[in-house]
Parts: sequence; C-alpha cells; structure tokens
Amino acid sequence: MDKKYMDSMLSKMDKDLSKHGMSRRDAMKIAGLSGAGLFMGTSSASAEEEKIVKTDAKGKIVIVGGGLAGMSTAARLTLNLTNPDITVIEPDPNSVSYQPGQTMVAAGLWDEEDIMYKRDDFVPDGVKVIEDRAVFFNPQENKLTTEKGQVVTYDYLILAMGVQLDFERIKGLEEAGRALSSGDNEKLLDALGDSICSIYTSKGSVKTWEMMQKYIDQAKSGKKTKFVFTHPDTPIKCGGAPKKIIYLTNSRLKEAGARENAELTFYPNGGAMFGVPEYHDAIVGQFKREGIKHHYRHNLIEVDKENKIATFDAKWQEKGPWDPVMKDFEVIPKHEKLKVPYDMLHIAPAQIAPREIGESDLGSAKGWIPVNKETLQHIRYLNVFSIGDVAQVPMAKTGGSVRKQYKVLVDNLVALMNDKKMEAKYAGYTVCPLITDIGTVMLAEFDWTVKPTPSFPLDPTVERWVFWLMKAYALKPMTMYGMLSGRA
Amino acid sequence: MKKIVLTMLFASIGLVAAEGEMPYAIGLKLKPQPAKIYAMECASCHGADGKQTSFSGFPSGIVYKEIAGMDEALLAKTIKEYRGGVESKDYQPLNKYGYGAAMKAPTRDLSWDEIDAVAKYISGLK
Repeated sequence: MDKKYMDSMLSKMDKDLSKHGMSRRDAMKIAGLSGAGLFMGTSSASAEEEKIVKTDAKGKIVIVGGGLAGMSTAARLTLNLTNPDITVIEPDPNSVSYQPGQTMVAAGLWDEEDIMYKRDDFVPDGVKVIEDRAVFFNPQENKLTTEKGQVVTYDYLILAMGVQLDFERIKGLEEAGRALSSGDNEKLLDALGDSICSIYTSKGSVKTWEMMQKYIDQAKSGKKTKFVFTHPDTPIKCGGAPKKIIYLTNSRLKEAGARENAELTFYPNGGAMFGVPEYHDAIVGQFKREGIKHHYRHNLIEVDKENKIATFDAKWQEKGPWDPVMKDFEVIPKHEKLKVPYDMLHIAPAQIAPREIGESDLGSAKGWIPVNKETLQHIRYLNVFSIGDVAQVPMAKTGGSVRKQYKVLVDNLVALMNDKKMEAKYAGYTVCPLITDIGTVMLAEFDWTVKPTPSFPLDPTVERWVFWLMKAYALKPMTMYGMLSGRA
Repeated sequence: MKKIVLTMLFASIGLVAAEGEMPYAIGLKLKPQPAKIYAMECASCHGADGKQTSFSGFPSGIVYKEIAGMDEALLAKTIKEYRGGVESKDYQPLNKYGYGAAMKAPTRDLSWDEIDAVAKYISGLK
C-alpha cells in the first residue's frame, strides 16, 4: 500500500474521529477489529499470501475488460503463475476508477480526483494491455476481434467487461445513448440537462452534487421542492446506490435546515427495498423515520425535460372473477402510465450486458454470460470464465462480490490449466455498505442463503458510525491497493 | 494506360483491405459506418443508390418514394420515429403509410448516432 496515501488518509480519519472526541485506537476497539482487519477487510492479507504456491502451468490468458474485476484477476494470476502470459483488453485509460466513491462525490464529501485512477498505474508486472475494445467473438476458434480490427487468439478467456448504462431506452433521453461509468460522457450529461442527474457515471456524480446544492438552496429559500428517485427494471450494479443518494440528499437537506420544504420520493420498479427480509425491514424503518415516501412497482419510461415530468409505468394486481376450476379468484395484472412532476430527478438507469456479448455465442438471450454460479466457468465453453457485473451470477453486482469471485476464478483457472479438479466455489457473498446518513452506514452482508452474514459480532441491521469510517476511509485503499494487487 | 488501370486496381484493393480490417455491426457503440449500415439494413428495399421504389418481397403494386437526396434532418427524424425509443406497450413506433412493421426491424437496433450518420449518407446519395 502507498504509505503516503495511508498517512494522509489516516490523518483525515483522525480529524473526523476527534470531532467525536475519540482516538483511532478507541474507534478500532469499538469495531472489534485490529487495525489491519479494518483496512484489509475480514481476512488477513498476509495469511492468504502464504498459501499461494506458484505453478508452471502454461497457456495464453486473455482478459476482456480491465476494470476492478479484470485487473484484480490479472494481478492474482501473476501471483499464481511462474510464467504468466496475460493480456488485458481495455480501451478506457481510467478503467480502474473507484466507482463506490461516486456516492461520496455526489454528496460533496469527496472530489472527483479522489476516485479517478489510471489503468496504467495498476497493470501488474508481466501483464500486457491492448488499448482497444473486444467486439467480435469466435469462441469455437478461441479468437476475438477488436474494434480496430486486431485479431487476438487465446487458450483461456476471462470476460469482465461490465455493464452498459442504458439511458437511451427512456423516451425523451434517446440521444443520451448507452454510457459507461467513466469517460467524459458529455453526450449523456447534455441529454440529461440541468434537472436530471445520475450518480452512475463519475462525471455524473460531480454534476449530481452541483444539482443537489442548487435544489437544496431552492428548498431553503422556502419553495416546495420535489426530489424524485428511480430504480429500474433490470439488474443493476450496486443495488444500494439508488437509496444511498436519497439518504445523502436527505442528510444535506437537514444540514441546510431545508428538509421541511423538500419532498423526497422513491419509485422503485420492484416490490421490496432489499432481497434480504431483515435488511428490507430495516430500510423501510429508515424511510419512515426520515419521512421519505416510496411507491413500489414503478418503472421510469419517459421524461419530459421541458415541463419536468417523469412518466412511470405503474403496475398493480386486481382481484378478478371467481375461477371455479382453480377454486380461487383470478389475479388480473394492471398497469398505467403515471405522470410525476419533479424539481430534481435522480435516475438509476437500466443496465445491460454489452450487446456484442448477447450477439455472440458466449452470451445468453439477455446478454449476460452464463456461468456456473459457483465455479464461474462458462456453461458451454470450458476454457472461458466470467466475473463481475457481466457474469450471469444471481447475486448483487458489486465490488464486494468481485472481491470473493476473483480468488475463486483464479483458483479454478489455475486448477484447469494443471488438469486438476476445480474445487473453489463462490459462496454468493456480497456486501452493500448502505449509507443511511453522512456518518452512518448499515453494512448489509449476505450470500446464497439470503440471510444476513455479518463479518462482525454486531447486529447487521443497525446503522453504525464505525461502518461509515470503514466506507469513508478503509474500503478504498483495500480495493485500490489490496484487490488490484491481487491480495485482498 | 495499362499502368494507370493497374494502379487504380491496387488502390481499390488497398481500400477493400483497409475496410475489411474494420469489422462493423450495428448497435455496438462503434463509430458509425453509414455505408455499411445502409448496405446491411436499407439497400435491399431502397436500392444501393436509394432510388428503388418497390420490393419483390412486398405485394405487387406497393411502391414508395425514392429516398436518395432527401433532407437529412427529416430523414433522421423519421427513422427515429420508426425505430421508437421505448420497449413498452405504451409507445408504438411510427406507422406512416403502413410501413411501421417493415421499418421497425431494420431500425430497431440503431443508436441515435447511427441514425444521424445514415441519414446524412442517404441525403448525400445522388
């Protein structure tokens, strides 16, 4: 880990702690953690490192996508192979930027520089980068072609290209196109205008903070101000983010003394706040406590930027006529368009796998890459693996999931290269540090069992200041210097 | 004379090879290549020159206008309307002169950028 970075981070943390009249040591004690544990997550990094025995296995490994998943996998492979032959295909020079920080930027807590990281600073030794995008796949011949026309062959392929943000499916935003979280995204921001924002891009999170301040000022001036928030009908990365931005807006409004003039309403497409009942109940309680309204089963389909009206497809069920065969009443699904006026609209966009995957033989009908959810091996092409947001794994698309997946993938790929049985299994662990206020986080951890699986001996449904410290100070270095070096 | 022909031949081979290196498919966020989009999605009905006005796949007697040289902005607007934007029962794409179904399939996967590029291309057809 970068020592200077650590020091500056620790001094920031100490300042925050002293505001609460507490030393760093006291804070660690409260968390029930050692210093290393807090910074490295729940397992000691050095213990893991000792277990790795390098092998001489050979084979050309190509990784499509050099974000957190792809680059961490590349790094860990170099720790496992004596003679690694690894190529990462990634066009974006900022592909490893710290996306979990976008909520912090959008709330004015961090600056854009705090989350921007250069791909080339995180390329592990011995790994080649092709600055291009893989577009055409020919898995029968172990070949792919890039946008610039380069044909790349491989023995083993790892697909980690993430998701695209599908703004163009919303009527009124077609010109926005489909975006990625980093990059200049000028076209997208132009299309969104000055009353619609989204923290799902890094530039967008900067703009969200500008917009939030503008509308908080409006509320402060005494004008009733409507803040509307959405959650789409597709899987999304970080399912907590659409709620985090609500809580942060709420927090900033309270701080400005403008909360009573603001109306915060959440329109999620789903019928619950969280897939785990315990966390769902906790969030519903938080919404009630903070006076945030919510209406389930509303999917954003249209925006009228001029008149500031969002149109949702609202769904419900009605009791139908008696069915004498089933001996029950029929259930009739109904839906209608609902127009909702807003002052500021925050969009969590629909997210899709890159279309080139769905059109190739590697993708499923919906585009996601079908893999065994435990081994991460492709269900048809046994020399292909997938990890991260683009993999068809029925679990949250987060960096927390990737942190468990990449070690499993590397263990299994190395086993395969050595003709051994693949024994590593992804247990479905994921984590959502749900920011509920500036200064508190509920650490929602769970796995395939859909039960809370807390790493700490504390009630996981309680919002805690100590988890805020972890989110605000520890998770970034753990990700940027731990995961991206293949160790944490 | 022979030499010139030969040079031209080589030049054209060079061009084909260069184009061949740049694969293209629609809707993949690639830099739009309007000539290829037109060839793939439009030319079978509208002709390579944009002057075809009937198609053997349609019932006889159905004719439509030449599109070569039409106004770029109008082309872009109309194609976007044919494409529709939203996958929802609430939004039906344009069905002008009954061509909705015929125009939906070829336009469905185009991005706004690709439509703008192909509109410019058609507008420039002579």
